[in-house]
Amino acid sequence: MRAFLDNLRLALGTFLGNPLRSLLTLLGIVIGVATVITMMALIEGLREQVNKNLGSLGAHTFEVTKWPTGFGRINWAKYAKRKDLHGEDVKAILEACPSVVAATPTDMEWGKKLATAFRETHPSVGILGTEPTYVATSGVTVTNGRFFNETESLDGRAVMVIGVDVADALFPGMDPVGSDVRLKGRPFQVIGVLQKRGSVMGMASQDNQVAVPMRAFQQLYGKYRSVEIDVQARDGAVFQKAQDEVVNLMRRRRELTPQEANDFEVHTNESMTASFNELSQVIALAGVGVCLLSLVVGGIGILNIMLMSVTERTREIGIRKALGARRRRILGQFATEAVLLSLFGGLLGVGLGFGFVFLGKWVLLFPMNVPAWAVALSLAMSCGVGLLFGIYPASRAAKLDPVEAMRTE
Amino acid sequence: MTTPNAPDAGPLILVEALTRAFFVGGEEVRALRGVTFGINRGEWVAIIGQSGSGKSTLMNVLGCLDTPTSGRYMLNGKDVSRMDDDDLAVIRNVEIGFIFQTFQLLPRETALANVELPLVYRGMPAKERRERAKAALDKVQLTHRMHHRPNELSGGQRQRVAIARALVSEPSMLLADEPTGNLDSATGEEIVRLFEQLHQAGHTLVLVTHEPKLAARCPRAIRLSDGEIIADGPGPVVALGGTGVLPQAGHA
Repeated sequence: MRAFLDNLRLALGTFLGNPLRSLLTLLGIVIGVATVITMMALIEGLREQVNKNLGSLGAHTFEVTKWPTGFGRINWAKYAKRKDLHGEDVKAILEACPSVVAATPTDMEWGKKLATAFRETHPSVGILGTEPTYVATSGVTVTNGRFFNETESLDGRAVMVIGVDVADALFPGMDPVGSDVRLKGRPFQVIGVLQKRGSVMGMASQDNQVAVPMRAFQQLYGKYRSVEIDVQARDGAVFQKAQDEVVNLMRRRRELTPQEANDFEVHTNESMTASFNELSQVIALAGVGVCLLSLVVGGIGILNIMLMSVTERTREIGIRKALGARRRRILGQFATEAVLLSLFGGLLGVGLGFGFVFLGKWVLLFPMNVPAWAVALSLAMSCGVGLLFGIYPASRAAKLDPVEAMRTE
Repeated sequence: MTTPNAPDAGPLILVEALTRAFFVGGEEVRALRGVTFGINRGEWVAIIGQSGSGKSTLMNVLGCLDTPTSGRYMLNGKDVSRMDDDDLAVIRNVEIGFIFQTFQLLPRETALANVELPLVYRGMPAKERRERAKAALDKVQLTHRMHHRPNELSGGQRQRVAIARALVSEPSMLLADEPTGNLDSATGEEIVRLFEQLHQAGHTLVLVTHEPKLAARCPRAIRLSDGEIIADGPGPVVALGGTGVLPQAGHA
């Protein structure tokens, strides 16, 4: 311990003796660590936001779909052969499943354009066809006006509940309720504005959507489409039971034999979040790989400065050995110096990383959040790099012959 | 500090048939060709010789900075001729106080820190270290300069710091290599007087030099030539070219 403190003091002295050179050599590590902090913060920020927003389903609600969600290589052709889900299925679920209190069909069209007499949106709006129970199954609230009711839904009336982004685009500073919006040339009356919900990864903003009655939706985009069914269980206690009831019912309706797998999907908020988290872990791992690479570059810097330091201080090493320093002691001295140096670089990198994150968060408005483990990991990796690349120069120092070493100038 | 030499039986240093050969460009250079002598506790011995006589090699072996090719070197009852690097480091730390011609002080450390250094490698607590280092600096009358770095000290002061550093670990012997070689004659004289005081205080001193004048001040001198002892006797006699009593017969 005493030896360690002595080494620490010596290492500090070296660093302060030549701060500019030390800083320049540390640049590799500083940048590497700053990169990993920034990347991890970005991934973490996205992950948090996705976890918050991806779960677009309301309380104890699950979703029955034809298509799986997920990332990566999915054999879409295989799923295309599946039977569609229809309004009939929604009715059947409501009738046959005692644990279910609500079942809402939903269907989406992306990238549509809405217009008023004066303004129009980008062709990026999501059109959601659904039924009044959507309020319960999705957990949305209408902040201004109201959602469409049963009658409007059954009649397929041209009414629309719009997201805040759409409201801002079409009615800046105005109350949209009561105004008309044209979709595919057909006028819809705005009856409500949805509460702000945020976006998933800056795309597919849930605020850049409008909801219309399913019937009206089908008149615009066709009847024979597969819908998704949002099913709400009576309460959390029967959430699993409700899923089982729905799965059994759907299997019967789709005439599956016991050997066949489900030809439909059941998603919960948890299952959707999990599949995103899987993706974000892959990205994080790639990030760590990139960071390791730049740390190796930083490590070469450490190797260089330590070799230089040993050469410059050959005489000092000779004196220390002559006065009774054992090899391990010299090794320890220089290894401590290397580790301290790269740890310092790591700390600077963490600081710089936090600076980047601050910029990203407040200037570019990226969702970013530095996870504690990223700080710990990058500091640990800096120390590791220091030790790895410092040990060779240190062992060279330790093996010096004191007589020869004291003779150098 | 207490008297440095424990009253063990036998000579402090016993060197028998010591040889040391180097290979320079594939050719064998025999720097020491069978050297035998003993040094008792409390003696002040000069080892003199021209450059190339082997006295530096002998000094390195005596200082446990180098090991002999053959022969035996007993230091304070321990055979150190076959020890490895780390064991020799311990011996150097405990048994030997070095005083070098070029002082060999750490330039970035204060005088006090330089004097503390041997005790650092002995694992002594910082407080005790500091006190002993101050006491050693007091012995060479340098307490007023202890917070200065070597480049702020004169040559004589630097050598006195080095002597304090050699004394601080209470070694069995002080081994000085041309201690006045980098000093003007007045300062050199100061250092020699300091050696005289240390000798009177009971320290064992071995002084390697090529200056006959310095050797003449020592009670005993050993003259090396071509790696062999050609004279061993009272300092003034050997310094003037006398042979003293040869070979390792008793000396007063």
